[in-house]
Amino acid sequence: MSRWNRKNFILVLLRTFMLQASWNFEQMQSLGLLFAMVPALRRFYPEDQLLAVYRRHLVYFNTHPYLASPLLGAVLKLERQAAEGAPEEIGIHEFKSAVAAPCAAMGDGFFWGALRPVASATGLLLAFRGSLWGPVLFLFLFNVPHLWLRIVGLRRGYDRGFRVVENIQRCRFPDLSMRLKQLLVVLLGILAAWLIGDRFQGLGWASMWALPVIPLTLLLGFLVQKRISPLVLLFLMFLALLTWFHWN
Amino acid sequence: MSAGAYLTAAVVSLWCGLDRTAVGQFMVCRPIVAAPLTGWLLGDPLVGLKIGALLELLWVGRLPIGAAIPPDDTQVAVGSTVLALAAGNAGLTTDSLVVLSLLVGLPLGKAGEYFDRLARLWNAQLLTRAEFLLDAGQYQKVPRLHLWGLWHFGIASLATYGIIVGGGTLFMGWALDHLPDRFDAIAAWLWLAFPLIGISATLGIFRISRSLLLFSCSFVIALLVF
Repeated sequence: MSRWNRKNFILVLLRTFMLQASWNFEQMQSLGLLFAMVPALRRFYPEDQLLAVYRRHLVYFNTHPYLASPLLGAVLKLERQAAEGAPEEIGIHEFKSAVAAPCAAMGDGFFWGALRPVASATGLLLAFRGSLWGPVLFLFLFNVPHLWLRIVGLRRGYDRGFRVVENIQRCRFPDLSMRLKQLLVVLLGILAAWLIGDRFQGLGWASMWALPVIPLTLLLGFLVQKRISPLVLLFLMFLALLTWFHWN
Repeated sequence: MSAGAYLTAAVVSLWCGLDRTAVGQFMVCRPIVAAPLTGWLLGDPLVGLKIGALLELLWVGRLPIGAAIPPDDTQVAVGSTVLALAAGNAGLTTDSLVVLSLLVGLPLGKAGEYFDRLARLWNAQLLTRAEFLLDAGQYQKVPRLHLWGLWHFGIASLATYGIIVGGGTLFMGWALDHLPDRFDAIAAWLWLAFPLIGISATLGIFRISRSLLLFSCSFVIALLVF
């Protein structure tokens, strides 16, 4: 059977960027995972075995789209070993089922819950000053780790097979997420102070009048925790301001 | 605004809408990018930047986890930028116009959740077709089915954009005729409400240890420095 080569790697890598094109509530990313693997599978297996291989992968699969790359690399390594008739260390389906959910949780927590908000807040510090470098900085801060994980992750996954899980563990995503979230809180504090202080200065008010913003933030945060939508809060504030300015 | 400008914004809406879930996920779909990009292509990037910054901060804590579908902030960003630029100055300050277009665009953006869900339901039908093709032995056609999902997400994005811009244009016309006398003053306070609510929501949703201490200290220190 043909071996994995650079062209294969690039084809599979490019297809991982479309992993979620057919995302659905039933099998989530199953069709996307199969789509990404096809260039490699066609080299590993003879035509008469592909039907069974395709059918095997058309089952529920869901993980974080970026962390899917190392997993995909590992699955391809297992597929190649299976195609070559090597003794099976772990079943392909067993491996996918075992690692998809933990990787989804780690990826969601790190990329969506920590890195993206921190990159946003950093970009916003520039954007609120009217600098168009804000969006550029946001894209840079977010996409460097993103693309690194996609490219290096796929390579490592294929090189190390199911042992790529150890590499993922070494990244310590939960710890990094916690540190980044703490940084996010600090950045939000700076952003709030800058926006409010600036507006109060414009009104000729002393900065100390901005201090009640802290309990107000806590109150609004409490209301959001009680499942009151931020949109509802915004429109309630709008109504309150309309009423205030109507009577004053 | 010319038909070409609406069409250009529709292309941005489609590209950013696909980036959101289906292709890439480079985060050009985030309001901080999508809105200034729209504004830049339509001739006023700073209006887009203001809209994008306010929206980004309002929804910075909303996460697309698992099967949950977050609000379509991408189309709200693109659509609200189009609404603001189409309205011209309309006798309002830029900040007031930004706030007004967001107040119009935000509720209409709820349609995005419906269309996004619809696209994902259409995608489930692709699985049925894939099973059918496998049963028929036509396995070569199965991977191509996956790409049909791009159409579904693309149509959902454009439909949301159409509703925000179409419905929003009608409502903006009415709103501009019925604005209260002191809307500029109201908008100035609402300008602060967006970030404040967004920051509060983020602190409320994210359970971060020592968040109150960190937020208070950074807020007070930054206030003294600025």
